[in-house]
Amino acid sequence: MLANTFRTFCSMAFALAVATSWAAAPGTAAPDFTLTDTAGKPVKLSDYKGKFVVLEWTNPDCPFVQAQYNAGAMQPLQKEWGAKDVVWLSINSTNKDHGEYKTPTQMNAWMKDKQAAPKAVLLDSTSATGRAYAAKTTPHMFVIDPAGKIVYNGAIDDKRSARESDRKSANNYVRAALTEATAGKPVTVASTSPYGCSIKY
Amino acid sequence: MPRFAIALAAALASVFVTGAALAAPVRTPHVEAELVSERTAFVPGQTTTVALRLKMADGWHTYWQNPGDSGLPTTLAWKLPPGMAAGPIRWPAPEALPAGPLVNYGYEREVLLLTDIKVPRDAPIGETLALGAKAEWLVCKETCIPEDVQLDLVLPVAERADPYPQWSKAIAATRDALPTAAPGWLAAARGDGQKVVVTLTAPAGAPTPTGVHFFPFDEGRIEPSAKQTFAREANGTFVLTLPVANQLAPGFTRVAGVLVAANGFASGADVPKAIAIEASLTGAVVAGPKPALAQVPALNVPPPVPAGEGLSLLAALVFAFLGGIVLNLMPCVFPVLSIKALALAAPGHGNKQKLRLEGLAFSAGVIATFVLLAGMLLAFRAAGEQFGWGFQLQSPGVVTSLAVLFFVLALNLSGAFEFASLVPSSAAGWTAHNPVVNAALSGVLAVVIASPCTAPFMGAALGFALSQPAALTLLVFVALGIGMALPFLLLSWFPGWRRMLPKPGAWMVHLKQFLAFPLYATVAWLVWVLGAQVDNDAVVRLLVTLVAVAFVLWAWRTYRVGASRAYSVVAAVGLAATAYVAWPLFAGTPEHDAQTSASARATAGAGDQWQAWSPARVSELTSAGKAVFVDFTAAWCVTCQVNKRLVLNDAGVRDAFADRGVELVRADWTRRDPVIGQALGALGRQGVPVYVLYRPGKEPLLLPEVLQKQTVLDALATIDGGAPKAALLDHRTR
Repeated sequence: MLANTFRTFCSMAFALAVATSWAAAPGTAAPDFTLTDTAGKPVKLSDYKGKFVVLEWTNPDCPFVQAQYNAGAMQPLQKEWGAKDVVWLSINSTNKDHGEYKTPTQMNAWMKDKQAAPKAVLLDSTSATGRAYAAKTTPHMFVIDPAGKIVYNGAIDDKRSARESDRKSANNYVRAALTEATAGKPVTVASTSPYGCSIKY
Repeated sequence: MPRFAIALAAALASVFVTGAALAAPVRTPHVEAELVSERTAFVPGQTTTVALRLKMADGWHTYWQNPGDSGLPTTLAWKLPPGMAAGPIRWPAPEALPAGPLVNYGYEREVLLLTDIKVPRDAPIGETLALGAKAEWLVCKETCIPEDVQLDLVLPVAERADPYPQWSKAIAATRDALPTAAPGWLAAARGDGQKVVVTLTAPAGAPTPTGVHFFPFDEGRIEPSAKQTFAREANGTFVLTLPVANQLAPGFTRVAGVLVAANGFASGADVPKAIAIEASLTGAVVAGPKPALAQVPALNVPPPVPAGEGLSLLAALVFAFLGGIVLNLMPCVFPVLSIKALALAAPGHGNKQKLRLEGLAFSAGVIATFVLLAGMLLAFRAAGEQFGWGFQLQSPGVVTSLAVLFFVLALNLSGAFEFASLVPSSAAGWTAHNPVVNAALSGVLAVVIASPCTAPFMGAALGFALSQPAALTLLVFVALGIGMALPFLLLSWFPGWRRMLPKPGAWMVHLKQFLAFPLYATVAWLVWVLGAQVDNDAVVRLLVTLVAVAFVLWAWRTYRVGASRAYSVVAAVGLAATAYVAWPLFAGTPEHDAQTSASARATAGAGDQWQAWSPARVSELTSAGKAVFVDFTAAWCVTCQVNKRLVLNDAGVRDAFADRGVELVRADWTRRDPVIGQALGALGRQGVPVYVLYRPGKEPLLLPEVLQKQTVLDALATIDGGAPKAALLDHRTR
């Protein structure tokens, strides 16, 4: 009985230590993952070591995401930085049982309709990757450097609203972080509170 | 003129007289919104309070000034006549609203967001003024919808204003309850790496706040879903520990926010439930760890009201002491202790002094073991483990070990073997020559064999003890130990009772053999528990293990009493076979438990009208406006089984559930399940049984641990109106 309890305790302590060391804060290592994209292909983060990677948590049913795409704010970022060899991965962590869950076909159709240009759209229907990054909202953005370190974690921009009209005047944190990081400079604003809809875990 | 026409005319006239505008509320699919006023008119030069009234559809919420993990605060953009000025929104204290593993801060049902309006001195008396405001909010349930509406409030300017009949009371009550700095409460804050430690000094005579939760005014300060702690220090101050946000915003130099307590911050009626605190931050903070995003966030839901006040320390100690005495009569303990006591009566057992020493050693063993158990439990809970009392029966390995132990003890009482014959005579002689050590070890054994009985019969009481401060918890366990040791101690202290026994003889052997049967019964019960915990294969595995144990004992004893050495080899082979058969029952790792518990929960309710429990299922049903009854239970919990058979399965009770369309949900804690553990903790309980009735539009009801048919029927009657009877209201939750 003692041994059994002790074993539980030790494994909990170990798990806690591991979880803490994996905190997805700026400057820490980005947790690796393998997710299936909407074309059915596995995508592994560590395969992109040596390149900048953007993770965009998204959900087509979320008005904050819609505001970004309807205002045409997200797509140019994807195109502009995609052309500069930055790997843009859009991740949907909506739980499979939730009403807002989208199938790969539905995700593709929506992305096509919005003329979005991520490198890949990944489905995280168990929410495991979302949890590993402690992603909270849609959108919630991460920028990862070629060494696999998180250099930006937070909101898409500084206008905390779901209005399309605010997007033009908003200061986009991801653009700023990519501009600095790809120029080899430290990121000035490396962490902000994300805003948006809660991720449907 | 028909009577209703007169009434209508009178109503219209009164509107013209008071000048109050009848602006209809604006309705969106999920929100009803309007601007309402505390007073019927604007008085030049005075300040008056108006409110944005938001009434959300069932299950939908809007947000506080800091929305928490997600969401957006409600905003008001005023369009005012010249000279008029509107202050900022004065926010009522929010609620912590879980969204899966995330936590948001906001309002459900209805909220009045207050704004003070300054009326200019030169406002023309007799005319009307129109306030316009664009209100924007995000309303969320499973999905989020941003909405904005244009609202107006038109009131006359007059020399004096009356309370607006419909709203003045509600607005005044909301204003009185606004979180403000409370007299006598002083806060100091110190940054300590990944946490902020707030020390609160209470005014003299203030009660201990319970169910405390801190809501920071700003985002990027405190991690919404991480656990906050609140404790009373020896010097009477309180210490609130707040986890720093993972995405720490720069410039965290002041700790400012709302502190909410279930019982308020002063004695008496109408005490403030929420106060504002603000303190400059000394020391340094760094960004906190990534939030765990557990299945259920670690919210400090107010614990049951009677805790502490309801049961005094003295009463808790007396109950524990009596419970300890009663433990001696439990089927798992009584046979073993009886034999131990009878051994005292054996002729030539030793002199009076030695007997007393043995009694004391036994008592020390019992008490020390109880304290050790309680200490371990407290340590695990401090480490964040979801253990309640009864945890000892949640592991198949422990159940198996206990079944084997009881089986061996029972075989011994049946006369299948003597312990002395199993061990080398030197060892047997050693315990015989060290009766004090032997007695202390007996005390340890007594507590171990009592453990399957403390869980089923005393789980609720010991769960209460565990909800108290650590020192008090240990004291309660000491009292339990004293109670349990007392009968044996008395028997050894006053050996006079021995004279009343019949002469030692055959009756003692018969009694001993008879006492084996309660132990066999305990084994049968443990086998049933294991079956409920794992599956039929595990039951067979345990039964085969028991057969193998009996075989090993037989072979070893045969060898020990002088048979061929071959028997020792047979015993060794048998022992290896026993280990081989039993091993899988011990091999279930905690990780494995965590994985299987979700599926176990999913199948727990199968087969009858009871559905399997999950936090999501309950919130789904309650937000659909259904009444939900949740039965937190476990196979090893005898109280639970009695309640189930006598009350919950009673035809009358079942009919009452069906009549009112109550959804029945069962959470089975037979195996360790951290999600259920957290849910129990959130209800202020540490063990099963727990019965909760969620009533649409009302606070959930916690029913007593020992159910009566009438209690359940009375509780059900409160679903559609009627105050619950005071006796029934065991505790109220948030």
